[in-house]
Amino acid sequence: MSKLIIKRILIMLPLLWLIATLTFFLLRVLPGGPFDAEKNLPPEIIANLKAKYHMDRTLPEQYYIYLQRVVKGDLGISYKYLDRSVNDILASALPVSLTLGIAALFLAIIIGVPLGIVAATKKGTAIDAMCIICSTLGVSLPSFVIGALLIFVFGIWLKLLPVALWESAWHVILPAFTLASGPTAYLARLTRSSVIDALSKDWVRTAQIKGEPYLQTVINHALRNALIPIITVLGPLSAILITGSFVVETIYAIPGMGRFFITAVSNRDYDLVIGTTLIFALLLIIANTIVDILYHILDPRITISD
Amino acid sequence: MMKNRTYLAKIAGCIIFILCLIAILSSFGFPFTPYAFDQTSEHILEAPSAQHLFGTDELGRDLLTRIIYGSQLSISIGFLTALIASIVGITYGAIAGFAGDRIDTFMMRGIDLFYALPDLLIMILVGIIIGRGTLGILLALGLVSWMGTARLVRAQFLTLKNEEFIEAARACGASSWTIITRHLLPNALSPVIVSLTFIIPSAILAESTLSFIGLGLSPPACSWGTLASEGWRALRTEPHLILWPSLFIFMVVLSFNLLGDTLADTMDPKTRV
Repeated sequence: MSKLIIKRILIMLPLLWLIATLTFFLLRVLPGGPFDAEKNLPPEIIANLKAKYHMDRTLPEQYYIYLQRVVKGDLGISYKYLDRSVNDILASALPVSLTLGIAALFLAIIIGVPLGIVAATKKGTAIDAMCIICSTLGVSLPSFVIGALLIFVFGIWLKLLPVALWESAWHVILPAFTLASGPTAYLARLTRSSVIDALSKDWVRTAQIKGEPYLQTVINHALRNALIPIITVLGPLSAILITGSFVVETIYAIPGMGRFFITAVSNRDYDLVIGTTLIFALLLIIANTIVDILYHILDPRITISD
Repeated sequence: MMKNRTYLAKIAGCIIFILCLIAILSSFGFPFTPYAFDQTSEHILEAPSAQHLFGTDELGRDLLTRIIYGSQLSISIGFLTALIASIVGITYGAIAGFAGDRIDTFMMRGIDLFYALPDLLIMILVGIIIGRGTLGILLALGLVSWMGTARLVRAQFLTLKNEEFIEAARACGASSWTIITRHLLPNALSPVIVSLTFIIPSAILAESTLSFIGLGLSPPACSWGTLASEGWRALRTEPHLILWPSLFIFMVVLSFNLLGDTLADTMDPKTRV
């Protein structure tokens, strides 16, 4: 186990370097710069600004300066949010996004997995059809429309929940449900098909013949084996959650990583874009490592090779 | 149950056909234009009425007309993305699967890298580099949609290439090119077709999401995605502006998903029940 973690860390460092390098040059290639939005600046001031942020140097020099700073743990400064370092912004935005993401993942698991199990055990009945319809609805609407629907019903019509900002625990509910809608549907469908698959296996029949109650068979034999494909998708699912957070944070005006990323891209806020991209990549690597460890716990037959 | 689902799939197929027909017909000069606006105060932001079935927007433009025009862009984005994804995916998967061994391993790691990055991140960066026109969006969508197809084709190739009929073809002196195009590809295509029915709706959804966060198609262009995201801004006062475009997105995406599910069930005997 510890070997796996050490190996992952060793792979992680070059991967992060690669991502930082790619994003660095990609952004510099893009038309436009961070100071284009300022109107009618005299050339001297622009020259001063560029000199202050080392943008008057050649690209390789800028890259060298950037890397030197990053190695020391300083992700640079934001050109738009004046006087705020990227570290500072990320330190305030990361907990927000993590809370939202974990809440959504939790919701998706506690709603999606049971829904899939129920559908699988009642396969072919009206209950199954209901579950399929619910999960198809979840993947057939853009998340901002689902957000609009929730805001309309719970915020404007029933006036039960706050519809924007990030202040109390109540503010987490609507965004978390919006973010969870896609993953829930995805998990429900996947659970349904893998439980159906597991239920058709010989060992389930054996357990049934021996007189084990049906519910117990489902939980002990089918579900445990069905969990492996479910765990597998938790890695890609965290990527889906990150994508979703871009939209959900925009809908509910939440000061999280996704929203900072989008505004930073439009503003050509170079260091902030690279910083957020790096954190996203780091989160995904951590999520995938956790998945691999869970694998091993669930099914000791799977040996971890890389 | 099975019968029910084919029944649903037929309805879904009809809906898709009708929407495509609308999109095609509207490109041959439809009686109204989507940009004609009526800025007299009584027609701005009108709720649905007999004259304007779906209501009007803030410039007094008829929403129904705009949705009909939006179908051209939305539906063609869906199909073209699927086209790009299948061209790239089939080529990539075929090379990896046919070559096998090291080349295969290396190419699969490349796919893993694409899978590991959030789609939207790639789309945003590509969209900015190429520009926010239709072409830029198409390429960005294509770039994040081909991996599934490539994996499918590669997996099919890996199992198929050891079959006897391939060996027979080789014994007859067929070239690699002939084996790939005549023998392997036709046998590998059915799961690819299924996967295409899922790429189309996800491309339509992704386009609307991009438009919503302001990094997709820009205003003069009109797709269901841009219409819905424009409607979002007036959610509190004019809910009809987001309702109708979303309904159309929903209809087409749901139809494709239902069709895809049924196709997957019928084409893959293993999951057939």
